[in-house]
Amino acid sequence: MSDRPIIEIRELTKFYKGNDEPAIDNISLDIFPNEIFGLLGPNGAGKTTTISILCGLFPPTRGEVFIDGMELRSNLDNIKHIIGVVPQDLALYPTLTALENLTFFGNMYGLRGQDLRDRIGGYLQVFGLEKAARKKISTYSGGMKRRVNLIAGLLHKPKVLFLDEPTVGIDVQSRMVILDYLNEINKLGTTIIYTSHYMEEAENLCSRVAIVDRGKIISIGNPKELLKEHPEFKNLENIFLHLTGKEMRD
Amino acid sequence: MFKFICTIKKESLILLRDKAGLIIVFLMPMVLIIIMSLLQEVGYSSINRETQVDVLFLDQDNDSLGIKISRGLLSSNYFHLHDSVNGKPVTDTGIREAVKKGDFVIGIVIPPGVTKKIRSNVSIMVAKTLEGFGLFNTNLFGDIPLAGADTITIYFDPTVKQTFKNTIISSLKQYNYQIESEMIFTTFNHEMAKAFPTYRPPDLVFKDAVEFHEVFPSYHKVEKIPNTAQHNVPAWAVFAMFFIIIPLTSSMIVEREEGSMFRIMAMPVNYLLLLMAKVFVYLVVCFLQTVLMILAGIYILPLFNAEALVLGNQLFALTVMTIVSALAALGYGVMVGTLATTHQQAAAFGAVSIIIMAALGGLWVPMYLMAPVMQHVAGLSPLNWALSGYYDIFIRGASVVEILPECLKLLGFFFAAIAITGIYMKFHNPMSK
Repeated sequence: MSDRPIIEIRELTKFYKGNDEPAIDNISLDIFPNEIFGLLGPNGAGKTTTISILCGLFPPTRGEVFIDGMELRSNLDNIKHIIGVVPQDLALYPTLTALENLTFFGNMYGLRGQDLRDRIGGYLQVFGLEKAARKKISTYSGGMKRRVNLIAGLLHKPKVLFLDEPTVGIDVQSRMVILDYLNEINKLGTTIIYTSHYMEEAENLCSRVAIVDRGKIISIGNPKELLKEHPEFKNLENIFLHLTGKEMRD
Repeated sequence: MFKFICTIKKESLILLRDKAGLIIVFLMPMVLIIIMSLLQEVGYSSINRETQVDVLFLDQDNDSLGIKISRGLLSSNYFHLHDSVNGKPVTDTGIREAVKKGDFVIGIVIPPGVTKKIRSNVSIMVAKTLEGFGLFNTNLFGDIPLAGADTITIYFDPTVKQTFKNTIISSLKQYNYQIESEMIFTTFNHEMAKAFPTYRPPDLVFKDAVEFHEVFPSYHKVEKIPNTAQHNVPAWAVFAMFFIIIPLTSSMIVEREEGSMFRIMAMPVNYLLLLMAKVFVYLVVCFLQTVLMILAGIYILPLFNAEALVLGNQLFALTVMTIVSALAALGYGVMVGTLATTHQQAAAFGAVSIIIMAALGGLWVPMYLMAPVMQHVAGLSPLNWALSGYYDIFIRGASVVEILPECLKLLGFFFAAIAITGIYMKFHNPMSK
């Protein structure tokens, strides 16, 4: 792991209009190259807001973010070239085929021609979608859509990949394929920032996790270290419930 | 430019695969234009041409005036006269009842002896005139007073418009004056012949000294009479063009709600540029839609016995007008699609605002029929600017130079809407909704 963080978050705060409570409350955090960093938290904890700010979708109320040494707001265009985003929603056009969707998203990164075709073909093969490539997304199963959703964020081979609940609501096989591939690209140098509700998945996948609640980081560290810190709990899920409480969230 | 073209391709594919959307965009406006033209064709015809108004007509005079009125009304090809109801000859009371019930909108009763009275009055007036020449023995008429005016009763249904009533009354007065004039000359000649046996009265042919020439001034000496198609095709083409904001805003909001916009906003691409690519695709749709509506006006309307649209020779001006009108509509759509937070909000506001702007803009009621205040308000509607431009082209044969004021206003509206969208997006990031 390099000493220099690839993502530096300094006193990040976000208030939404009409809300007195901050969605993110003065978060500071460093994420290092080649990490798979898990942002874990109950609904409304501020995970998606944090990822949205890191992707430059909207500005924070306060605080600074540096990605690969570049200040986010003043270098947004450059940063957008090195980050990939896999949103929680299936951000695809249902009436277009997987091929058409991926071609369009690849084009938006400036990819074209044989290079783009090769990349799409390669990913479709890895994720077992080559036969369905010319079928409309609306005819796909949930797992297939999730896989296309992931490919769309990988096409330009980003240095940093943000994944917001990438495996929610899919079958075990699709989940395995996705997680295996994330491990593979991580080994090849991609830093992954990942949110999930699946604690076991995060425990196995992430090199570090931050448990966030009500906009604050309440615990951070390697899952194994966290388990050592809380020997009374046998897994990450128990620690998570202990730290965030059992009360249901909206 | 590459990303712009790729977005055009993507938007085109999405649009082409939405069969229901295509029907709404292309077929519905054509159906609308045909239905509205046919409906208004009847309305216009009842004023102008073929469709005849049924009139109950009771001629108790059975002499010159009754015959003149009857022939005059029939020769206008505008009225169909009935002298019986359900096989029974009409009476004054019967006519009154039939109009009261709404079975007929007009009933005319010519009283008995009205021609005789006119003739008598004319004879007295001629005799008194000739007395001055010593040609007539006034003792014969001196004590006979002129008969009082007789009354022709016209029953109108309460729904008949005042302008229509005035037209009928004017026509009846005109027939009366004609009869009187003819009688004066005939009687005068007759009396002159009696006084001067050598006088040979001419065969009088009564002809109007003044004729009316209808002129519809246009820019290029192309005097065409505007017909319903020339009113309806541009009016409903403009309406359909602005109504395209419904699929446009829907496409924008679906993109936002389904997450594609999240991904696009995180990509190294200018979102406003992608919006313009969307505008370009819908601009082509608007253009094709207008072409289809014009073709419907030219080829389909005549199949329903409605008048065909006369295209004229200002095709370039027509193209320019269509493009700037569509841009204004799409700019408005982009603005509504950005400002609205939900699909329902955009659809409801978009539809209602277009209907209001259409009503204000004179698409439903011609501007000249509006109250003066509303005529000023109409001038604020972009639909009115577009319609005025089309009217100038279709009816007055205007070229691009002559429709420039309307074009500039529509372009200004487009740029203003896009500027508002850009400013709003700068301060209210749509992703933070």
